[in-house]
Amino acid sequence: MRMIIKIAWRNIWRNIMRSLVVIGAMVIGIWSIIFLVSLVNGMTESYIDNAIKNEVSHIKIHHPKFINDRESKFFISDVAAAKSIVDTISGVKAVSYKTIINTMISSGHASRGITTIGVVPKNEVKVSGVSQKIIDGSYLFDTKKNQILISKITAEKLKVKVRSKVVLTFQNLENEITMGAFRVIGLFETGNNIYDESVVFVLQKDINTLLELNGNGHEMAILIDDLSQLEHIQDHITKLFPKLLVRNYKEVQPELALFQSQIKMAGIIYMVIFMLALIFGIINTMMMAVLERVRELGMLMSVGMNKGKVFMMIVVETLLLAIIAAPVGLFLGYVTTSYFNKNGINLFFYSEEGMKQFGLDKFIYPNVHTETYWQLVVAVSLTALLGSLYPAWKAVRLRPVEAIRGSFKTRAGLLVSLFNFLRKKTS
Amino acid sequence: MDLIVTKGITKTYNPKKIPVHALQGIDLTIKKGEFTAIVGPSGSGKTTLLNIIGGLDRQSNGTVWVDGTDITTLSDNKLIDFRKNKIGFVFQSYNLIPVFTAAENIGFIMLLQKRPKKEIDTRVLNLLKSVGIEEQINKRPNQMSGGQQQRVAVARALASKPKFVLADEPTANLDSKSTTDLLDIMENLNRQEEMTFVFSTHDQRVIDRAHRVITIEDGKIVSDI
Repeated sequence: MRMIIKIAWRNIWRNIMRSLVVIGAMVIGIWSIIFLVSLVNGMTESYIDNAIKNEVSHIKIHHPKFINDRESKFFISDVAAAKSIVDTISGVKAVSYKTIINTMISSGHASRGITTIGVVPKNEVKVSGVSQKIIDGSYLFDTKKNQILISKITAEKLKVKVRSKVVLTFQNLENEITMGAFRVIGLFETGNNIYDESVVFVLQKDINTLLELNGNGHEMAILIDDLSQLEHIQDHITKLFPKLLVRNYKEVQPELALFQSQIKMAGIIYMVIFMLALIFGIINTMMMAVLERVRELGMLMSVGMNKGKVFMMIVVETLLLAIIAAPVGLFLGYVTTSYFNKNGINLFFYSEEGMKQFGLDKFIYPNVHTETYWQLVVAVSLTALLGSLYPAWKAVRLRPVEAIRGSFKTRAGLLVSLFNFLRKKTS
Repeated sequence: MDLIVTKGITKTYNPKKIPVHALQGIDLTIKKGEFTAIVGPSGSGKTTLLNIIGGLDRQSNGTVWVDGTDITTLSDNKLIDFRKNKIGFVFQSYNLIPVFTAAENIGFIMLLQKRPKKEIDTRVLNLLKSVGIEEQINKRPNQMSGGQQQRVAVARALASKPKFVLADEPTANLDSKSTTDLLDIMENLNRQEEMTFVFSTHDQRVIDRAHRVITIEDGKIVSDI
């Protein structure tokens, strides 16, 4: 085996340029896959983080009927007491509770349907990222009555600004139409336009008074410390509140899970495309290497090298190319990803509106999991192995007596003759 | 002692399309220690005969006994082993491994035979000395002249301690001096070590030095002197 490795290794450097081209193709392929996967991971994580921070949290608790029929009467009783129970669960980072109703928001210029969320600011800031997305005015605070926080988009559509008055109209628990005047205290912009134009925030105590909902609420949102504990904590809460519906973020927004799985599938597809492109490159190069060395292979078989060793020699030669290329590609991929992971990539530079509509942050931080590196090592090795099989098979099919004289009846022989003829002509 | 015995060897190429009868019933016996040249015009069948004796090609009919073994009955894999252990080859265009040094080219057949490294090193050095190019030990084929490369090829052929050496037109690509030097080396090996050499050639210098000359024409032996 040492002898085979020795011949294979030296054969690689017989035609440096050709070997470097294959190695280069492998390096670029590995690097681009790492970068692409890291970018997609960064986008996925940004999208999911935003969704969790601004909308869904990790776990949500509702009255079971509230999900399909968003009526105010389907509430969680004494929601503050329920919060204090959840707070005691190990692994729970923060809990907030809310009142959620469908309302009509009106200004002097326009009106539109919107979801009004009544929150307790001191709880909400620990769970939601909206308080950090204020672009004008301020976030809600407990001491002032009838404040409302609306998005920049809603403000533009209603033609209002900070300190303007708007009116919320909705049905109370008795199904009577109720109105309340609120003053805009601030404007927010989360980066997700669809979300921004669908919600406004008010103090829970204000909206509960109008609704006559007292100390009850419609939703509890929970953030946890460690995502791997998600199902465990969810089960725990379900046992504590058997009459309520406890769902994790994947159940609340199945599209997040779908998005995650689609992205994973896209990564696999990229890898397969890369492998296919590479496999043809390897076959081409190794076929050239075999054809160039037909006489030598004929000699090796004549003097006693068996077909298994000849086959192995071509396979090892190809694997050595991969062994050279893989660490370089992985290193370049790691360096590039690390750099952009630290500094971020400004996607708004390309399409600000598109990215906002999609719910992405301005900066994407590419990120690769260790398993991707291992997957690539396996993929490249497998590709090299598969790519080497056909040339190796061609090599062992050579008949020593013909190969040694260069007088082939095979297509490979004709190619060799043509190759040798052209080489003589050019030299 | 009969080293090579062929009986009724025939070889027909393209038997189903346009048959070419390269050999037409060759009966030949070569004894240990002979220095034999097989001569004849181009296309007479001398290389085909050499290939069949060397187990590189299969005859259409007849039998070939080499060192007491009927090689026509051996499977491809057993034939490869047989060639590795019993026959040394010298080719017209040297056919050295370009990425190996002279020493590695000679030693690699012994590696195939799984000989100990120490034995390989010693034998490589002795063989290089016997062909007079020990100073070329670490040079690669492209750093050596044609004559030097062919000497390495001879040393390689002898490395496996074969029963005989088959040389197909060994001097065809060599100048006069290199040819004389190579023939001197082979003749010495034949004389001192009783190594059997069988050449195919139409080089008069080789024919002049051969102890036995077998002439083939149209696939038949026409003279054996």
